[in-house]
Amino acid sequence: MPQKVITLCYRKIIDSTATNPWDKFIYEDSFTELKMQSQFYNQEGKYSTFAEIILNVPGSEKLHFLVSASIMGYLQQLNGIIPDVLDNLGRRFLTFENFKFEIINSDFNQIDKHKVAINFFSRPLLWHDSIDQYLLVSPFKEITAEETFTNLFQIQPFVSIHAIKNIS
Amino acid sequence: MIGAISTPVIIDACKKNSTDGSTTSGSGTAGTTTSTNGSCTVAPTETEGPFPTKTPASFVRSDITDGKTGYKLTTKIAIGNINNSCAALAGAIVDIWHCDAEGNYSEYGGSGMQSTNYQSVHFLRGRQTTDANGLVTFTSIFPGWYSGRATHIHVHIYNTAGTSLSITQIAFPEGSGTALALVNGYSKGMNGYTYNNADNVFSDDKTGIEIATVTGSLTAGFELNFKLNVKA
Repeated sequence: MPQKVITLCYRKIIDSTATNPWDKFIYEDSFTELKMQSQFYNQEGKYSTFAEIILNVPGSEKLHFLVSASIMGYLQQLNGIIPDVLDNLGRRFLTFENFKFEIINSDFNQIDKHKVAINFFSRPLLWHDSIDQYLLVSPFKEITAEETFTNLFQIQPFVSIHAIKNIS
Repeated sequence: MIGAISTPVIIDACKKNSTDGSTTSGSGTAGTTTSTNGSCTVAPTETEGPFPTKTPASFVRSDITDGKTGYKLTTKIAIGNINNSCAALAGAIVDIWHCDAEGNYSEYGGSGMQSTNYQSVHFLRGRQTTDANGLVTFTSIFPGWYSGRATHIHVHIYNTAGTSLSITQIAFPEGSGTALALVNGYSKGMNGYTYNNADNVFSDDKTGIEIATVTGSLTAGFELNFKLNVKA
């Protein structure tokens, strides 16, 4: 029977309302790093916002990547587990190796305008079934045992199926 | 950690419909905010921790090789202050970055949906703070080259507060016996190479002040020395 292997994306938005320490470290450190790195693309100091630089300066989209260095230490502190997304038992269950950091908006003179996102891409999951509003999944393995432990979870805001592959 | 973070939000987040742009544009706990299906989800039920600790940007290291193969290069950059008779400037932040042996920089590949493994994505990029002698040292590999440019290392100097003081590039000496000639463009060779006098950045440098001193050999590795004066 054909089955589907899926990869989930969780886009974690961090803005000035962040309250927990991990989010606040990401928020403050990415703002500091952006202020430093953006000067390369703003050598005359003409622009005060991230949006203006992106619109006007060729190559400035590299800032997403450059500023991501400020959060690498925090990503490593997650030990490969995607935060916030829970299964129906209330546990985090998604693991990741891949991410993409984005700067959404920022104003170099006003930290409260700063807003970033971390896209976490899950390791591949085997999608066994859908039960009511829930997906029944298990970590995808090349060799499947007779019995597989599964997670039941509901797709929530800022979580999406990023990629899908049919296997037989 | 996440359990602790999310609890207050989730408990009062039996989800409500929202068309408010400020809500849908997200918050620090995006995954646990409102949805439109009107149903409830479970609250996190896990032991707290591990607890996050303040961590510097991954640029902050002296060895920036990140497993890239090539001839070892030790880069020593001394920063002087033009406003103080070019005396050593301590406490300046120095970023450097350069390409690998094949001429590629670390960056997000492509655009849009592509993701990156979170281990060692920022290869050959580093940050150090100058010591009392105004000196920073990096370990990496001798850079390769790519079409249209002479071999170079990018440098960005900031003051202690992170304000940009200087953005420049370091050029390499050319000619027989130089490191550039010995490395010989790695596997690419030097066919199609752009030399300093044809380079759009270095060609106006008639006195060679952008050219570093480079010593060493293929077996022992190379050492690059460069003095850069900034207004601090």
